[in-house]
Amino acid sequence: MDEIQNEKVEQLVNYIMKWSLWQFNSREWDREKQNEEILKKTMQILCDEPVDNGTPEARYYWSEAMILSSDFKTNFEWISQMKKTEIKKLMEDLKNRIDYLTITGSLNAELKVKRY
Amino acid sequence: MPYHTFKCSKCIPERTKHAVIKGHGEDLTSCLPLGYLNTIPGSISERGCAFCGAKHVIGTPMKDVIHLCHGPVGCTYDTWQTKRYISDNDNFQFKYTFATDMKEKHIVFGSEKLLKESITEAFKAFPEINRMAIYQTCASALIGDDMDAVAQEVMNEMPDVDIFVCNSPGFAGPSQSGGHHKINIAWVNQKVGTVEPKITSDYVINYVGEYNIQGDQEVMTDYFKRMGIQVLSTFTGNGSYDDLRSMHKADLNVLECARSAEYICNELRERYGTPRMDIDGFGFKPLSESLLKVGLFFGLEEKAQKIIDEETARWKPELDWYARRLKGVKVCLWPGGSKLWHWANVIHEEMGVEVVSLYTKFGHQGDMEKGIARCGEGALAIDDPNELEGIEAMMELQPDVIFTGVRPGEVAKKLRVQYLNAHAYHNGPYKGYEGWVRFARDIYNAVYSPIHQLSGFDISKDEIDMDNGFVTKNIISDAEIDREASIANNEREYTGKYDCVTHLREKTY
Ligand code: SF4
Repeated sequence: MDEIQNEKVEQLVNYIMKWSLWQFNSREWDREKQNEEILKKTMQILCDEPVDNGTPEARYYWSEAMILSSDFKTNFEWISQMKKTEIKKLMEDLKNRIDYLTITGSLNAELKVKRY
Repeated sequence: MPYHTFKCSKCIPERTKHAVIKGHGEDLTSCLPLGYLNTIPGSISERGCAFCGAKHVIGTPMKDVIHLCHGPVGCTYDTWQTKRYISDNDNFQFKYTFATDMKEKHIVFGSEKLLKESITEAFKAFPEINRMAIYQTCASALIGDDMDAVAQEVMNEMPDVDIFVCNSPGFAGPSQSGGHHKINIAWVNQKVGTVEPKITSDYVINYVGEYNIQGDQEVMTDYFKRMGIQVLSTFTGNGSYDDLRSMHKADLNVLECARSAEYICNELRERYGTPRMDIDGFGFKPLSESLLKVGLFFGLEEKAQKIIDEETARWKPELDWYARRLKGVKVCLWPGGSKLWHWANVIHEEMGVEVVSLYTKFGHQGDMEKGIARCGEGALAIDDPNELEGIEAMMELQPDVIFTGVRPGEVAKKLRVQYLNAHAYHNGPYKGYEGWVRFARDIYNAVYSPIHQLSGFDISKDEIDMDNGFVTKNIISDAEIDREASIANNEREYTGKYDCVTHLREKTY
């Protein structure tokens, strides 16, 4: 990742950490799913792609993604200047970073507990 | 790892891994204390027990229920009324406390008979209440009383009554959090699905992890109802026992305090497919986005936006008045569990205060993750602090005010640090737009209290300037601010009523 991309990712990470809660469900598998679904749908909204919100579960992820994508657009004007391929790459890098901070690099010993 | 060792805890080396300082460039992969572990012997913890967590945090806010503690009277009495979880039925659950009053002889000979007598006596004394929760304690657990069998026997004999059994004795976990877990699971196992509710809207939620502290639940429920949403149950503040038995019929679980109630949301998601949506009822921006998020889920975002616009227009000038005067105020954010992350960022963003430390008495590492992610650099984060560590932190950090519980709050006062009650509030509610202004007002009143300023003088030796009269809060707070800008911005002090909750009970939607 080049430095500019890195800087952009960090800005988005910081925003999520400060204002969102969905990335901190208590178990590893739960975090994987939350990160995957919400960031995927956020990317789809930002790229004007169709988003599945047909089931209650999908609708929940979509609601989170609607808020996040709107916040991203309001707070980081540079996103609107980006091409769709660039947004996709940005969101992929963002997802990797969030996964690292909340799952693979996390120091939270409870993440691997089998039951809730 | 940026661990912090307190001087006073050098003799307890295990404590080192329970405190960290968030330094420049630190993130959650390098900066996280241990959490939710048994308190280290020798460390005088401020935690409660697992019975207390089950009964006094989660069980007792249920309003139409006799809450009977099966144990020595001290277990229930000493923790009675420590939180202000009011209700709209004249605070029944709050006014009375019930215990079987176990004595030594019951330990020797058993106390199932005593339990049965107490249950029937309590139902007879309050014939209008036919729901009961009975709570195990260390004593009744250790002698092995079969509380489920006794409850079933009574229910067989008295068909109108229903009894919930909570087996969460004091030792059932490192802290009150163990009790939160136990009662969540017990409720979903025993009671959810046993009542079929009347559905009155196409949009139905359970409001979970909300305890109606000084009316929080009633304020939030008002917003949901204005959006056309049916709040089927609240787990558990101002919540009704039978409503909570029908939690399986909601479309969405809206979760406020994940620390105490994520378990039931997770179980409902697994068993009934109901999504869990975490929200923040504190602070203008988090609250607005929470309402919008719930609105989006149901396709009611326009109604949500209308409420956001109305409430923001009404209350933002008042928040701004306080924010201008609170800028730079140093805060130790020392609550029990969830408020450390609910508040860590938004009090800085919306009121300009600086969070110099956060701690949690009973939170897990997940709570610290959220708190540390949300606080600024340099903050000292402590897990399960003992009193001496709290004192050492206050001496070093010199906060203007701490947000904490009653016990550490009293210690703070002795050090001339102002304290606000983070659990039961001072002049709440603190949720909702108006509530957030009330919180700002409480912080302002604490920090700029003239009595507090005067208490710094020792009249036996300090020189007192007798010519300078008594100063008011406004004189102190406005010395350094741009008053012209404040006036031009239409900022004003809080104009709400003393009681901003009771009128909501009369409202029709
Ligand atoms: S620890 Fe045991 S004895 Fe003490 S209050 Fe809790 S339940 Fe009662």
